[in-house]
Formats: sequence, C-alpha cells, structure tokens
Amino acid sequence: MTESAASPPVQGNAEQIKACCAAAYGSDVVALLLGDSYHPGGMRLTRRLVDRLGLVAGGRVLDVASGRGASALMLAREYAVTVDGTDLSDANVTLAGGAAQSAGLADRVTFSTGDAERLTTKDDTYDAVLCECAFCTFPDKSRAVAEFVRVLRPGGRLGLTDVTAQTDRLPPELTSLAAWIACVADARPVEGYRDLVTAGGLRVVHVERHDAALLAMLDQIEARLTLVRMTARARAQALGLDFDRAGPVLEAARRAVAEGLLGYALLVAEKPTSPGPSVAARDSR
Amino acid sequence: MTAEAIRQKRDRDEVFIEYTKSVCPVCKVVTDAQVNIRDDKVYLRKRCREHGEFEALVYGDAQMYLDSARFNKPGTIPLEFQTEVKDGCPSDCGLCPEHKQHACLGIIEVNTHCNLDCPICFADSGHQPDGYSITLEQCARMLDVFVASEGEAEVVMFSGGEPTIHKHILDFIDLAQARPIRSVNLNTNGIRLASDRRFVEALGERSRPGNRVNIYLQFDGFEERTSREIRGKDLREIKRRALDNCAEAGLTVTLVAAIERDLNDHELGAIVEYGVSHPAVRSVSFQPVTHSGRHVEFDPMTRLTNSDVIHGLVEQLPDWFQARDFFPVPCCFPTCRSITYLLTEGTPGSPDFGVVPIPRLLDIEDYLDYVSNRVVPDLAVREALEKLWSASAFMGADTTREQLAATAEALDCAEACGIDLPEAVANLGDRAFMIVIQDFQDPYTLNVKQLMKCCVEEITPDGRLIPFCAYNSVGYREQVRERMSGVAIADVVPNARPLQPILQPSPYGSKIAASENGDGPRAGAPDATNVGKRIR
Repeated sequence: MTESAASPPVQGNAEQIKACCAAAYGSDVVALLLGDSYHPGGMRLTRRLVDRLGLVAGGRVLDVASGRGASALMLAREYAVTVDGTDLSDANVTLAGGAAQSAGLADRVTFSTGDAERLTTKDDTYDAVLCECAFCTFPDKSRAVAEFVRVLRPGGRLGLTDVTAQTDRLPPELTSLAAWIACVADARPVEGYRDLVTAGGLRVVHVERHDAALLAMLDQIEARLTLVRMTARARAQALGLDFDRAGPVLEAARRAVAEGLLGYALLVAEKPTSPGPSVAARDSR
Repeated sequence: MTAEAIRQKRDRDEVFIEYTKSVCPVCKVVTDAQVNIRDDKVYLRKRCREHGEFEALVYGDAQMYLDSARFNKPGTIPLEFQTEVKDGCPSDCGLCPEHKQHACLGIIEVNTHCNLDCPICFADSGHQPDGYSITLEQCARMLDVFVASEGEAEVVMFSGGEPTIHKHILDFIDLAQARPIRSVNLNTNGIRLASDRRFVEALGERSRPGNRVNIYLQFDGFEERTSREIRGKDLREIKRRALDNCAEAGLTVTLVAAIERDLNDHELGAIVEYGVSHPAVRSVSFQPVTHSGRHVEFDPMTRLTNSDVIHGLVEQLPDWFQARDFFPVPCCFPTCRSITYLLTEGTPGSPDFGVVPIPRLLDIEDYLDYVSNRVVPDLAVREALEKLWSASAFMGADTTREQLAATAEALDCAEACGIDLPEAVANLGDRAFMIVIQDFQDPYTLNVKQLMKCCVEEITPDGRLIPFCAYNSVGYREQVRERMSGVAIADVVPNARPLQPILQPSPYGSKIAASENGDGPRAGAPDATNVGKRIR
C-alpha cells in the first residue's frame, strides 16, 4: 500500500526496528490503517483462546506483546487472574497502565516494557502465557519459545494466535509490500508454529484455523483506507499512500487467504508436568 | 413384508427452539406458540381451539436469528407504568410493570383520516365516514404521559392517518417542543409537503439545534407498479417534489420503504443509492409490509423478513454491503430491528464516490454483545453505539450526530501523520447515512417474547403506552378507534391466503372474520393458554 514504508521505519528506536510488526506500526500509514488496538478475531477470539488455557481464579498469566492492555484487563476481570503484560513500546505500556488504573485493576494487572526473547521473570512462574498476533514478528522464535517454556510452570499453557503464511508462495503484490511484509515475512504455516513449540518442549493440545478473522481484518483495512481517501486524501498521498495500488494488494491478500497461503491460527500448547527428555531448542530456519 | 412390520421411529423435520405465546389471527384469543427452525428458516406456529393451527415465517436466516441473541441489552425501567399486571402479556398494555424496556420512541396518531386510500395501510386509514382526530388537549395529555414515563424523552413521532392534514399539526409539534423531548418525527406520505411550501417552511423553522424535526417520508421505490400497488396511485413525482422542498427548508428526511416480496424487493439498492444522492435524505428505513390493518393477500409462509432485506441489499449493492455490516438493535428484542451506518463521500456512480460501513471500522461486537462482554474496551464508545443502534436514533437528531462523533473516538489511530481520523469522521457527520431494517409483527407472527421488550410505543389518548406491534395485532387499535369514534369496530384479520374462506371486507378496506350466527368471532372459544382471556 505504501512505497515509503519500504525503507526502514524512520522514527523507530532500536527495539522497534528489531520487532518487525512494531516497526511497521512505527510507520504512520500502517498505524493509520490498522489502528492501534486491533488484532484479527477481536475479543471474541481472545476469549476462545483463553477458554482453552485451563485458568482458575487466582492464577498468574503473562501477556506477551500486551499492546494497550485490552486482553490483559479482560482476563483479569472475567477470569479473576493476575496478569503481567509486557510490550516493546513504552507508549503502549503507559497507556495500558493507565487503563488498568481507571478500571480499578491496577493491583492485579501490571505492565512493563520488555522483550519476549529476554523475559525477566523467574522460572516456573506462570499458569499461562498469552501471545496474540505477535509471535510471527519475533526474529528468534526458538529463543522466545524457550523463554515461554522457562517461565511457565509445569502443566502451564501457552496460548498463541497468529498470522500463518507460506511466505515463499505469496504473490508479488504482497511480497513487494514493505508494510505487509514487515508483519508476515517471518510468519509460518500452522505446522511451522507447531514444530517450533514442540521443539521447545511443549505438547501441542489444540490447533484451530481462523482465516475468516484475517479476511475481516482486510475488510477493516480497506474501510479505513477508503475513509482516509474520503477525509484526508492529499495528506495521505503526501505520506506515500498509493490509493490506486491498494485495491490490487487487498485483492491479492484475499486471494492468498482463499488459496490457503495466508491465514490466521490459534494454538494451545502445554508444558509437561514431569521433565521429559531435554529437547534442545533448534533454529527452525 | 416383515420389514414393513417393524415400525421405525422417525425424526421431526424441525428444530424446536422456543416456547412462547401469541394470538389467534382470527379471534385474537391468546394462544401458546412455538418457534421452530426448518430448512434454515425460523417459523412461529400456534393453535387456536376454535380456528385451528397457524404458521408463519418470522426470520429467513436461522443462523442470523440465533446469532442475534447476544445483542440484547438489559432493559431500562421507565419512570412510570400506566397499567397493572392482571391477565399477563399481551393483554395488559401498557406499559405494565412486566414490560422489559422503556420507550425509545413514542408514536402519536393524530387522526384516522388520510388523503390517500392505499391498498397497504397498517392503520387502516383513508377517506372514511367515521374515525377521529385528537384535540390539542388530548395531544398535550399524551405528550405528558410520555414525558412522565421517560423523564427526558428522545423522540416522538406524529403519525396517523395522515398527520399533515390535521389542522393542529404545527401546534402539536410546538407542544412537543415545549416539553423535554429532543426530536420530533413527522410520518407522512408527502402530499402536503410537495404542494404546500409554506407548510414545509413552517416545519423547517421548527427544526432548530436541540429541537430537530425530521421527516419520515413514505418512499417505496421508483417503478410505477410499486407506487400503484402499495399506494393506489403514481406518487413518484409528488415524492420528488416533497424531497426537494424538504432540502430547501433544511429538513432532514428518512425514506421509509414498505417492502413486499416480488413487488419492490428488487428496488432496495436503488432506494439506498437515491437516498445517499439526495441532499435532504439522511437515512432509509426498510419495513417488510406489515400484515396488520389493510394489505393485499399474502402467504404467511413466504413473507419477507429482516434477513431477506439484508441479503437483498448485499445482492443489489455488493460493493457497498456485506451481511455482517448489519447489527441487531440491542434495546428492543434483537430480531426486531437491524441497523448499519455508512460514511459516504461524493455521489454514487461518480468515480470518486466513497462509502464505508461504520461496522467495518470498529469491532461492534466488542461493545454490543452483552452476553460475552463483561468488560468493554471503552464505555463511552459503548454508550455512543447504544444510542446509534437504538429505536430512538434518527439522522438529523442532535443526539445521533453527537454519538457518531463519539464513536469515531474508537477509531483510535495515530495522530503522528497529521490525519486525525476521529476528527475527520466527526466532520463527516453530515455525510453519515443510516439504514434501518424493521420487521413489525402481525397477528400471524406475533411473539410475546419480542413484545415484552418492545421500545416503540403507541401513545393512546387514554394515556397508555402500547407496544406498536401489540397495538396493531392484538386488538388495541380497534379498541382505541371504537372508543374515540363511537363506532363499533370488529377485530381486523390478516388478509392471509389460508384465511380467505372466512374473510369479509371491513368498512375500511381491511378484512374481518365473516360472522357466524350473527355473533361474530368474538363469541368464540376462550383462551387456550393458562391465561384464559382475551383483551376484548
């Protein structure tokens, strides 16, 4: 959709450049089109995921890439758990903290700036780790899984939702699109995620495809794009938004979803209760 | 031979989903009723001891019907109830203390007279020898009842008959505006608006910030056949003139289309496009023809429903709509009414025309699904959406404009690039367009479950607030007209195909049951439910 986003994000700090999605969000145009707090499937899919984590009241949950805290606050209230949220963006952490405060949940929900590949928590701490629409952007996925496994207590569960992609087969409209590719360049097919968490020592207990959620998100992007064209055409064009190119790109993305090359998936995996044979984390690339 | 001797159990061909109450379409006795799903469609069935079994289609898309259940908001208790619980729903209207919702919209029918004699009229109005017109005093009292029940009322609608031919209609609007009622809707066929520009100007003068007047204009389509079959005349030129006069006077207009299967259900998309193009029009309301009062013969099993209108719009304007752009209205029962809002720019058909359904910009479910969401992302946004997805939302009403702006806050996007989407959307306020789809219940489809949460009430001269569909289907309309005009009125019976052998014309063009032994149907069997009574 945008040429300018093809160059590295201008304003991103080091951490943002490291995390592709955060970097893409650093691009004004992408932020404009995606909004700040949206992930495919919305709160409904989050609940569906959390329902499969076996949480009981009083449990402890880590929300990796917690954004503005919407999921963490929902978890605290509806599942009566304590939640630690971690996010690469200081701005998000501040906003999420404020939201927890005004929801009266600050005693049970805290947010801090942090990197999924270098969690500061002690071993065996959490009953569940939640990671929505972010894992695909982590450059060292094996290391991130190893961290999830480390902080999960035995029997604890990892809940992932993420973009799935067969990146080598995506059409050129998509692979040449920096803003998009930032998010999906290192996305994997469902089997790829399954292999990664299995290699990390978790047992996959549940996998679901939710491609329709991605289609709905494409609709949302298209809607916002139209809205921008209606309300601020000149300004958006100055930012590098190419309205003529957007239609074919969205079409290509929808086609890729229909052909199974692009999608969205939910995965739940459990940390074994007894230490099994040690499985060395491997670089799945 | 031996195989035949073994009797096999068989499965029913339907899924039973609700047990409820309804009325006999012939004698209006209260009956038990059940709702079933068959072939992905939803049907209501009931049996009257005297008149037998009745069945009607109530929703054309079973999945949509079931999905809508989540969009159900806890009701708000009105400040006052007007009646007591005695015989149970629907015999105690109203509102009785068992009613689940306050009145989002109050309707005052100012007369029974009309300057048209449409073949389709749920009010059974026209050029008639008897009937009634309310007085100023009666109108004031009706408004007072409404305000006593609501405190601050959102909107009152003047209807009829044809309200614009009542000599006091402007005074009635003044009476409403002198009270804490935010907006006035005038429900009209447009004949006077087309010819009497001074009247239109007088309406325009009354539409002021904080006190808006919106025109609710009958507008059924563009084909001559549509106009003749629904209205009895070719009114197309009159509608155009009425609309242009409204635009000139600065009045906002809702196009209200009565839609009948195989008559004008192919004109849905064209009506929306026309509305978006016209400077006065800010919304369209599609209403499957209500088979109460006067109407042409119909088949209850293939009648048009909300989901049929939604699917029709998607089919006719595929570049504009998806079925999931429409969300049920949570203030009433969610299967009664669905709404979407569009943001538009330019004229349909022109190269830079743009249209965006608001539900694609934010996740409406996160706010209006009251069953799953115990936490909502932003209460202010929910509050705004509640007002937009309600029976009191009218484009042109200041409240609706404010709520659209508040909703835009949820777009929540970067200010970094200098494009403030919420602000931009707020400025689009005048280009926001509302589409409402509302299937009113008739004596065939009446489901007490829906009636108990109805938020559109008829305000009666004797100071009651009667749910609109109860008023039209249970016998209250006949009761009020009889009391007001002093002329005995028989219960109107739907002009349904299966009932043809027992129907005879009423003096007003509707149908009533042919009387046997001179007693009429009102001497029929008592109620077949545990209530054992009927209202009249």
